[in-house]
Amino acid sequence: MSIFINYEHDTHVYNVTVERRDTKFFITYNNNEYTVNAIEVKPGQLSIQLGDRVIKSVISQGEDSKFVFIDGNIYKVKRIELTGRKKTEKKEGDLNSPISGTVVTIKVKQGHQVKKDDVILVIEAMKMEYLIRAPYNGEVKKVYFKEKDQIEIGQLTAEIEKEEE
Amino acid sequence: MFKKVMIANRGEIAVRIIKACQEMGIKTVAIYSEVDSHSPHVEIADESVNLGDPTPSESYLNIAKIIESARSVSAEAIHPGYGFLAENPDFAKACNDSGIKFIGPTPEIIRLMGDKIEAKKTIASAKVPVIPGYHGIKQDLSTLIKEGKKIGFPLLVKATAGGGGKGMRVVNAETELEQAIESAKREAKSAFGNDSVFLEQYIDKPRHIEIQILADEYGHVIHLFERECSIQRRHQKIIEETPSPFVTPKLREAMGKAAVAAAEAVGYTNAGTIEFMVDGKHNFYFMEMNTRLQVEHPITEATTGVDLVKWQLRIASGMELTIKQKSLFQRGHALECRIYAEDPSNGFLPSVGTLEKVEIPIGPNIRNDTGIETNYHVSPYYDPMLAKLTVNSENREESINKMIWALSHYVVLGVTTNISFLKKVLEHPEFKKGNITTQFINDYFKDWLITKEGLPLDAIIALAVYDSLHPQRQEIVRYKEADPHSPWQHVGRWRMGL
Repeated sequence: MSIFINYEHDTHVYNVTVERRDTKFFITYNNNEYTVNAIEVKPGQLSIQLGDRVIKSVISQGEDSKFVFIDGNIYKVKRIELTGRKKTEKKEGDLNSPISGTVVTIKVKQGHQVKKDDVILVIEAMKMEYLIRAPYNGEVKKVYFKEKDQIEIGQLTAEIEKEEE
Repeated sequence: MFKKVMIANRGEIAVRIIKACQEMGIKTVAIYSEVDSHSPHVEIADESVNLGDPTPSESYLNIAKIIESARSVSAEAIHPGYGFLAENPDFAKACNDSGIKFIGPTPEIIRLMGDKIEAKKTIASAKVPVIPGYHGIKQDLSTLIKEGKKIGFPLLVKATAGGGGKGMRVVNAETELEQAIESAKREAKSAFGNDSVFLEQYIDKPRHIEIQILADEYGHVIHLFERECSIQRRHQKIIEETPSPFVTPKLREAMGKAAVAAAEAVGYTNAGTIEFMVDGKHNFYFMEMNTRLQVEHPITEATTGVDLVKWQLRIASGMELTIKQKSLFQRGHALECRIYAEDPSNGFLPSVGTLEKVEIPIGPNIRNDTGIETNYHVSPYYDPMLAKLTVNSENREESINKMIWALSHYVVLGVTTNISFLKKVLEHPEFKKGNITTQFINDYFKDWLITKEGLPLDAIIALAVYDSLHPQRQEIVRYKEADPHSPWQHVGRWRMGL
């Protein structure tokens, strides 16, 4: 039987079809077909014969993504459904926390005018400080945290209304 | 020799010290916080004491709790490892006051060397060169700004009680000075409980080269040559090597002599390291003395054949240092890489999670110091260094090749690590030539992205094979819908639970 899979890595999506017959796998990717012989030596550890060379890989299944070890490099890959997938749009600037930690200082108040790269707040994690800076000139609409608050990775720290150019 | 030693640390260094003790027939006691209860250091120790709350101040930094635990198990000595309480004079004193031997120098020396200003004054008096700067007691913002302008830019703001790059800022222009001082002070306050900073002339593209010393309690001091630690990110070392490709026999002798003189000037005991900044003209300046075992000590062990941890234990138990300076030499070349749970393509931010798979490279002259294993959870409470990988060979080129091989076979899945990044640094032509400074990462890897080239074909094939071997329930259903001729069309739903 053959299955269709979409792998998302970084910002790219890779469409792959694979059909298995015992230890033989027929893989179609990018309009090329690859026929390989493969065995799972140990759980997650694959030995794949492709033509005259052997691909060795270790794969682990995490909660929502896989980690692929190959040739000394590690890739974090997600399986996705293409239908209904939200387009990942690059937002200008980033006011999300890059790390989980504690908010130690807040430099601005609601209504403040800030310039691009002004420090909005300071997060401490693992004894290091991370500065959240204004991505553009504008007015602080809301600061979602106060000093000593715990903050999680990816949480929005503040809202800044962009100044009209 | 001691009969029982407590190791007041965690992770790879606790494991390394426990093993040294066990080889010497010394019983070991580990301490741990709740999140570390199944960590390797706890598993291999002969006994262990639970300190509870994982917050460092409630566990690995809690002097009262640790002393109390050591007493309860009748430990005669405490080895602090590095980090945590290793350079805390109050801890060393508390040990001594409780009749427990602190494995390291005296509290007075730790206090003196922990105060970077006093340390420089003392070391300068032993005729060891130091860098110009402001090391005054006046710590108000306006004084610091005034003194900073006097020294000029670029300038370094550094926590007096600092270490490991915490509480440290490089200031390139006057406009950045105020923000840098404030930020360094806050970071210093939270990391060390002391917000005092000093300012120093910033030497552009220096090398960081340090000298290992050993000193016993009878006035014998030897040095065990240099370690080149210039490859740093965020002012923390990630790759160390010895011998340094830059150090000539003449410079080595001068730095070794200076290090011994510095140690003798303060009456130093046990293992210690004198860190020097070396400019392009072979001038060296004293930076600081680390009054403890260093993370990168394995490379010195690999090239000198001396076990530094065992000597720490012997010296602390009152034994005389029997190694003579003239009998020491450097054999071959050794290289160490620090394996961190961090993302080099995202500002080296630490990453946390469960290690789904750990497989370490094994081979001749490959040393692994690790405190991790499969299913280990990397928590946000502690330093994200997972392990150290050390190799040694006949010469530098062979060490680099061996390290590249070892890193290519180092499997850590589940969190983002710096392994690919380390490999790229070692493969860099300038690294291979030995043209390295503390700015190396900034110069050549500033906007390095781990995944620039995307997924290679081999990874796609491996993934397809893996997913085909481990199909998911919905896939079969989906397939059924996609292909009306499938035999799966003719079986009931109850067969689907694979």
